[in-house]
Amino acid sequence: MKRYTLLTLAGLTILALVFGIKAVLAAPTTVPTAQASVLHPDFALLDANGVNVLESSAAVSTMKTCGQCHDTEFIAQHAFHSDLGLSDYNAKSDTFNSSNGLFGEWDPMTYRFLSPAGDERLDLSTAEWLMLNGERVVGGGPATTSRDGKPLIELNASKSNPETAILSENGTTDAWNWNESGTIEMNCFLCHIDGPNLEARAEAIHSGRFGEANTATLLDLKIVNQTAEGWVYNAEAFNEKGELKDDLLGIQDPTNNNCATCHGEIHTSEEPLTFNACDLNYPQTATTGQVVSAQRINTSGVNLSNKNELSRSWDIHAERQLQCTDCHYALNNPSHLSEIQSNNPEHLIYDPRSLEIGEYLQRPDHNFARGESAQFNVAPEYKGTMRRCENCHDATKGHADWLPYIETHMDAIACETCHIPQMYAPAIQSYDWTVVTTNGTAVTTCRGIDGTPNDVTSLITGYKPVLLNRTNSDGATLLAPYNLITTFYWVYDDANGNKRPVRQIDLDAAYLEDGKYTSDIVTAFDKNGDGQISSDELSIDSSAKEETVKAKLTALGLNNPRIEGQVQPYSINHNVTRGEFAVNDCKSCHDADSRVSQSIKLADNAPVMPVFDANNNVNSTGEMVKGQDGTLYYQPVPANDKMYVFGSSRVNWVDWLGALAFAGSLLGVLGHGTLRMLAARKQPKGHVRTERIYMYEPYRRFWHWLQTASIVILLFTGLIIHRPDIFGAFSFRGMVTVHNVIAVVLVLNAALSLFYHITTDKIREFIPHPYGFFDDAIVQAKYYINGIFKGDAHPFEKMPDSRMNPIQKATYFAILNLLLPLQIITGALMWSVQKFPAFANALGGLPLLAPFHSLVAWLFATFILVHVYMTTTGATPFEATRAMITGYEEVEVHEDESPKEVKK
Amino acid sequence: MTKRFPNWTLGLAGIILLIIVPVIYFLPNIQSKTDPASHLPEKVVHVDHTDIVKGEFKTGQDVTRACLECHEDAATDLMKTTHWTWESKSYDVPWRDAPVTIGKANQINNFCIGTQGNENKCMSCHAGYGWEEGRTTQQSNPENVDCLACHADPASYGKGLFGNPAEGIDLLAAARSVRTPTRENCGKCHFDGGGGNGVKHGDLDESLYFPSKNNDVHMGGDLNMQCTDCHWTQDHQILGRMVADNYTIDPKEQVSCEECHVSQKHEDERINTHLSSVACQTCHIPALALEDPTKVYWDWSQAGQEGRTDDHFTYLKIKGEFVYDKNFAPTYLWFNGNNEYRYILGDPLGEDGITYINKPAGSIEDNNSKIFPFKLHIAKQPYDVKNNYLLQPITSGKDGFWTTFDWNSAFQLAQDKTGLKYSGQYDFTTTYMYWPTTHMVQPADQALQCDSCHGENGRMDWEALGYPGDPIEWGGRK
Repeated sequence: MKRYTLLTLAGLTILALVFGIKAVLAAPTTVPTAQASVLHPDFALLDANGVNVLESSAAVSTMKTCGQCHDTEFIAQHAFHSDLGLSDYNAKSDTFNSSNGLFGEWDPMTYRFLSPAGDERLDLSTAEWLMLNGERVVGGGPATTSRDGKPLIELNASKSNPETAILSENGTTDAWNWNESGTIEMNCFLCHIDGPNLEARAEAIHSGRFGEANTATLLDLKIVNQTAEGWVYNAEAFNEKGELKDDLLGIQDPTNNNCATCHGEIHTSEEPLTFNACDLNYPQTATTGQVVSAQRINTSGVNLSNKNELSRSWDIHAERQLQCTDCHYALNNPSHLSEIQSNNPEHLIYDPRSLEIGEYLQRPDHNFARGESAQFNVAPEYKGTMRRCENCHDATKGHADWLPYIETHMDAIACETCHIPQMYAPAIQSYDWTVVTTNGTAVTTCRGIDGTPNDVTSLITGYKPVLLNRTNSDGATLLAPYNLITTFYWVYDDANGNKRPVRQIDLDAAYLEDGKYTSDIVTAFDKNGDGQISSDELSIDSSAKEETVKAKLTALGLNNPRIEGQVQPYSINHNVTRGEFAVNDCKSCHDADSRVSQSIKLADNAPVMPVFDANNNVNSTGEMVKGQDGTLYYQPVPANDKMYVFGSSRVNWVDWLGALAFAGSLLGVLGHGTLRMLAARKQPKGHVRTERIYMYEPYRRFWHWLQTASIVILLFTGLIIHRPDIFGAFSFRGMVTVHNVIAVVLVLNAALSLFYHITTDKIREFIPHPYGFFDDAIVQAKYYINGIFKGDAHPFEKMPDSRMNPIQKATYFAILNLLLPLQIITGALMWSVQKFPAFANALGGLPLLAPFHSLVAWLFATFILVHVYMTTTGATPFEATRAMITGYEEVEVHEDESPKEVKK
Repeated sequence: MTKRFPNWTLGLAGIILLIIVPVIYFLPNIQSKTDPASHLPEKVVHVDHTDIVKGEFKTGQDVTRACLECHEDAATDLMKTTHWTWESKSYDVPWRDAPVTIGKANQINNFCIGTQGNENKCMSCHAGYGWEEGRTTQQSNPENVDCLACHADPASYGKGLFGNPAEGIDLLAAARSVRTPTRENCGKCHFDGGGGNGVKHGDLDESLYFPSKNNDVHMGGDLNMQCTDCHWTQDHQILGRMVADNYTIDPKEQVSCEECHVSQKHEDERINTHLSSVACQTCHIPALALEDPTKVYWDWSQAGQEGRTDDHFTYLKIKGEFVYDKNFAPTYLWFNGNNEYRYILGDPLGEDGITYINKPAGSIEDNNSKIFPFKLHIAKQPYDVKNNYLLQPITSGKDGFWTTFDWNSAFQLAQDKTGLKYSGQYDFTTTYMYWPTTHMVQPADQALQCDSCHGENGRMDWEALGYPGDPIEWGGRK
């Protein structure tokens, strides 16, 4: 009865599990995208004092205006787009980065350095930082608040304080009066209206009139005009209550066009797409080549090689009508409740309690869900809150019909690696600030384009991103695509002993005078003596040039100037594609010429060896390699990341050793055989009397030949998997499948055979007996070395219950008890990496198991070679083989000598 | 077990099986897709008639008589089909008490309007001779069947007035050139319908004589399919009907993509979710009139003006003002293959100022309907103000409008031919006609993408189709 109860309970549990799991897998519904809302009420425009602008004709204050209904204080406090690192601002001496965000992180491409307080020389002050970067600053944060949290307007204007100073063009420091210029409040209009006037706003910010920026955003919308006397509001735009008619503004959820304001090329119209290449005004495109557009690449207007074949869209999510905000949503948005589940007790899958829409609209959290990109380190506590591929797509179902080992792949590579295989826009490759052009800019190179960027005759070739391992916030490490941007620049030690980048104004002074190169610079750089510095000559590729510039910098009072270089990875997550355009050929990675180890060019020439920036979540375990012409490359080394890719990775000494063993045996076998052949000619024919004995029973023969076939096929397919570059004709996937199937056949065959031998006690035959073993073995060995050439009889007579000589016994013992189990176990562990990675990893993982498996394979191959040769040592060369087929063997009978007793 | 096979062969067979069977079972099976081209009808072997056809031919009927000597049933077979009768079978329609037939012979459209009384010109596209005898006589004589129109090499044959061979045609040479009809034969009429290249259909014009693969993936490139490869023909009964001159179409007489493209499973699963509500043509025919423009608007009311220069694409004195368009998106409607209304002579005008010559049947609630592309042709054509029906003028011949430019006389002369009484007062009204689009299929990688229909720049009018909004947001029809 007990067993019966147990069985019923087990059965019920299984049923319950099945139903339970099915219920859990119910997927949440998608969220509709927002449109310009007709529900937003009309509202009054207020100025900074809370007075209606129709009365005061002052600039609009977004905080006060939108603050009439929305909690703008809350929003401004909870917005890393606004904060930009200010709340983490902390100048340190060991790094140029004073914060994690745009305000404080030193970008070697834009080069200007935000000077902390107390610095010897002022480079970028807060005011100038705003003027340069303000187009991409939403407002609030550093645009209104000082580094220690006070409003900027409360600071005393002082030349020595980088927050209230500004570097003038001739190098002097002036004071900056925030009360005059005003500050930029967080500008709701920038993202939340249909047609913000970006040019007017940018113009106001560039000229330092910060207080006008937000109102300038409303120009040309028939709401307000700017005159010499100030702002003039259009009375027709307001209703009788003094409220702005909402249809003029078009208040809406941010659209892709809003995001494109700062982030880069996002193309939504039907016009054939063109873009500005390598232009830092479009940062996302410039640094990675990402273009977010639904348009088909072959209908776009770019001069792209092979464009006609590219019938895919630039970005498939854009094509499928996803908006930026579908993945980068506000973290307390109730319509994204299913993604924001966190910290639930274990039993609770989904907590439906959320904000009401009205509550949310009052205090929308402007800390948006974000990914784990390499570059954007601001607000790191929000990294990984974004929906990722796996939150919407089920990789096991999507790849089910063609990709083997789905989980293994998903555990090792990020979706982007195969689904963003190629970028079709140029991206920045290097910025060389060790020199300056006469325009005062660095020497830049662009990858993925033949010719000058943005010239219509240049051919865009696009580029393949480099694959690097990325450590996600949940600890998982996945291979993902990146662009690498290399920068070179001068640094010096300032009077306080801090390392600082040489200021652009000093660099200009060292190189240029009145917009032309100084004569000593020309002398140093001009190789062909034409009196001009051409673009090839403008680089520091000799110590003479370096010394010249060093001297000039030292002359400016810069202590210990030296060159440094940095390599920065830029994440690539957009421009996703599917189907035939994604990587779906195994040999893209499983081949000698693998994507995983494909190098990327860093710079055409490197004055110093740059350092891979460590301030990100990317592993840089590869090597920097300098080519013969001075070109610098980054070469990923998968083995350094403990990656083993079948067909691509190999341990060279293992292959050499194995090949040596095989080749050596081949030579030995050929030599021995030749000698025997020569010796046999001298022997009289038929001098040995043989007797026909039934030697091998059917099962023995069957399992032997099945084992032979299996091992040979395994060796053959294994070799193809190991070296697909040599055996390109075979399908990688097919070979892996055959290898696995035959491996199972082999294991079953061996297991059954083991069972047979144990139960029939025939296993005794295989066990070499220690007593007298060595003596017998030596006798046998002597026969092979000497006696066999003389036509001597075999020292040990072959009989049905004693078929193996001592050497044979020892060899088979080793093969069957050592090599075969090792090979099976390593093979099984390698296969099990997809289901039970813990076992494999405990034993060293694939980087250890796979080369070991290869080595044993070489030994097996060697064994087969020698074994087949040894079968020719029977009465006639093919007699032993024939015996293993038919079962009957003509065994030599020892006539003139009594048969040696085989010691049992 | 006989001694013929030694025991060890059994073992060998066993080993081979044990290796091969698991491998085949587990090997990733490449789904062998049947090649759609395997469904193409077998071509009849060409029989060269150069030596077979003998004799002098003075008239078209002489040629036909010669053909009928061997192909005895050909004429009677053809005479059962609409290529001969120019009239559909009779339909019971809800807006009429008696059954009606619809065809070029007895109804009108909004292009050249109608053939009755205009046989001298219009019948140059009829598969028969002898229209000068009048319809009844013409239709009853098998020798009036024009074999050469479809079977002769179009370079050696052409038709003239009343369907008779054109002046100066060498009938013997034409008769000797006969072979299976090619695109050139069909195209002579179907590409130039409405009075010029590409005027009528939008998806059939002279660019299909030598199309590139991008123009039409079936007729272009290597495939070079002929009309008869899809419009399968048996005993001169040609399958593949056009709904504009029908009320309903029996599916047995229709051809569809699925005849050859048996499985419509696309590799992208998302596309497969569209199959129940979107027709193949919708995504695979992104545009009409890819190379040669088609007429989209015809204003008869402007015809007859003095002093205006004739220009094929904008104004002809005999026909009026037109608008042509090229490479444009079709109009999309729910369609189940039939019309829900077809204008019959004498029907009253439509309300709201638009008279529909035909209205495709289908709706969002009808599970047999799918969204289908149409070419919409809008015209302003004459109607009888008192009697409130559309009029068909006599246009050709010495008394026709094209000579006299007198509408009144054109309508009066037509009274006997059409049976429409003319009150003496005419005006012009707007008419719509929907022509289903099914040719100019572009290669698969040019098919519509998601953003072609969905999203801001999408080409679908969702609310007109009966959806609350874009199905990407609202979901598809239930």
